[in-house]
Amino acid sequence: MLTLEGVTKRFGGLTAVRAVSLDVREHELVGIIGPNGAGKTTLFNVVAGYYRPEEGRVFFAGSDVTGRAPHDICRLGLTRTFQIVKPFGNLSVVDNVMIGALTRTPGVRAARSDAERVVDACGLAPYATARARALPIALRKRLEVARALATRPRVLLLDEVMAGLNPTELGGMVDLIRRLHAEGLTVVVIEHIMAAMMRLAQRIVVLHHGEKIAEGTPAQIVADRRVVDAYLGEEFVLAQA
Amino acid sequence: MTALTRHAGAVVLFGGAAVVPLVIRDAFFLDSLVLILLWGALSAAWNVAGGYAGQVSIGHASFFGIGAYAGALMVTRFGKSPWLGMLLGVVISIGAGLIIGFLSNRLKGPYFALSTIALSQVLLIAVSRWRGFTAGGEGIPVPFRPGFATLGLGHVAWVYMALAVAILYYGVEVYLEHSRIGYQLAGVREDEDAAEALGIATRALKVIAVTVSAALTSVCGTLWAQYVGFVDPAYVFSVDLSVRFALNTIIGGIGTALGPYLGSILITVLETYLRATFAGMKTGFTGIYLVIYGAALILVVRWAPEGLTGIAARLRARAAAGARGARAHA
Repeated sequence: MLTLEGVTKRFGGLTAVRAVSLDVREHELVGIIGPNGAGKTTLFNVVAGYYRPEEGRVFFAGSDVTGRAPHDICRLGLTRTFQIVKPFGNLSVVDNVMIGALTRTPGVRAARSDAERVVDACGLAPYATARARALPIALRKRLEVARALATRPRVLLLDEVMAGLNPTELGGMVDLIRRLHAEGLTVVVIEHIMAAMMRLAQRIVVLHHGEKIAEGTPAQIVADRRVVDAYLGEEFVLAQA
Repeated sequence: MTALTRHAGAVVLFGGAAVVPLVIRDAFFLDSLVLILLWGALSAAWNVAGGYAGQVSIGHASFFGIGAYAGALMVTRFGKSPWLGMLLGVVISIGAGLIIGFLSNRLKGPYFALSTIALSQVLLIAVSRWRGFTAGGEGIPVPFRPGFATLGLGHVAWVYMALAVAILYYGVEVYLEHSRIGYQLAGVREDEDAAEALGIATRALKVIAVTVSAALTSVCGTLWAQYVGFVDPAYVFSVDLSVRFALNTIIGGIGTALGPYLGSILITVLETYLRATFAGMKTGFTGIYLVIYGAALILVVRWAPEGLTGIAARLRARAAAGARGARAHA
């Protein structure tokens, strides 16, 4: 479904992502973890078309999308969310989502009813007419997901949609992502919260200093010596045991 | 809300403007009305780029001047109809609009605004220096030849001409508020990266918005030149004029259909009144309207950043809440 071949992205002398290859199959739920500055978001930016990689190629649904504009990639069926949420602050929640829906549904009236359905499915119905900038962070993260969903993606890239949420909100977000996955969506999640990732991902990819240092099931990842040294630390492993 | 109540402000405003010439024939008053409508339409044209697409230009005098000169030169140099000049002005303005639209994809916010000023200054210098063709800094008197084809109209006819344009531009803005492209432009204005992620071709959309805005501005430039009967580069390409388009809109309510017209009424009436009041006094007062502009802008930014339409919406909400409260008590 989504294939990265030796993707490298440099900023001047800094190599943010180095020769990363990755294969996401249809209907998979893949997690990407790694310390701050490991290159996770940069990798998303390359995949979604915001950065052109210096080396390597990105294939989506059989076609080479390397260097294509983000809006093209979205129309092909791959939509991303932003770690630092970017709501259309002065617009209502439903208008935010409708702007996503208009990409697939040209008619305003039809797009609005699409948007209302998505808003409902994401548990945002009580806030549908609220201005986006008035929402607390947990709901903004939800809005970010809802807006992306409205573009009817085949692959959804979620960039830290759980960061900054309290345990209840976190549980809600995990449930939402699980449900979307169960409905047939292919999902790639960047996340710091290991506990959530363990419950959620079928497969985890670990980035460190821009390189992929491990890949496997959550159980394999927790047992991986390099991952423990680079990221998780002994305490986490002991706590899990 | 029915269409009539939603556009109640516009109905009152444009309806009033349509009725006035039937009753009042005072030339000074009708002149003010034409200018209010023309400045309003020009501000509405600016609003397409500055308000709906979020590309704030301070160089829209470029397109105004192109339209004004295209009309005036078509009449004086080639002896053709100003309507033809209007068409030529639109074509040239579309070209210039494409350049500015392209710049909007390279330069953000204040840098974009500065680049638009630069364009108007380049045009100012070019037109001032190209004496053989444009008559340079002296300007061109546009001869008055009565008739619709030559745009030699009386005051009453000019009111209806300006009114037609004003209503048309208002319609363009209402369309932008309810159409797919309008919502997508709102996305671009609010957050370009997010809009792009949602499948919106943000760059192309900005170019379209700026170009349409340029073309609409150019049309009014031609009309203005034919109405006033004189063009000179120092005025039609001035930053003052560009600021006026932006200011009318900001004071009236940026990104709203009615805002540019409300701003135009306030500013034009104030300016006309002040000019008349201070006309007989020392020449030191000739620039007083600029002081008023500045003061009005400061007041709006401080107390009503959403402009006159924002104040109206707030009052309406308060009235509605009051009515609900009264019912609850009853």
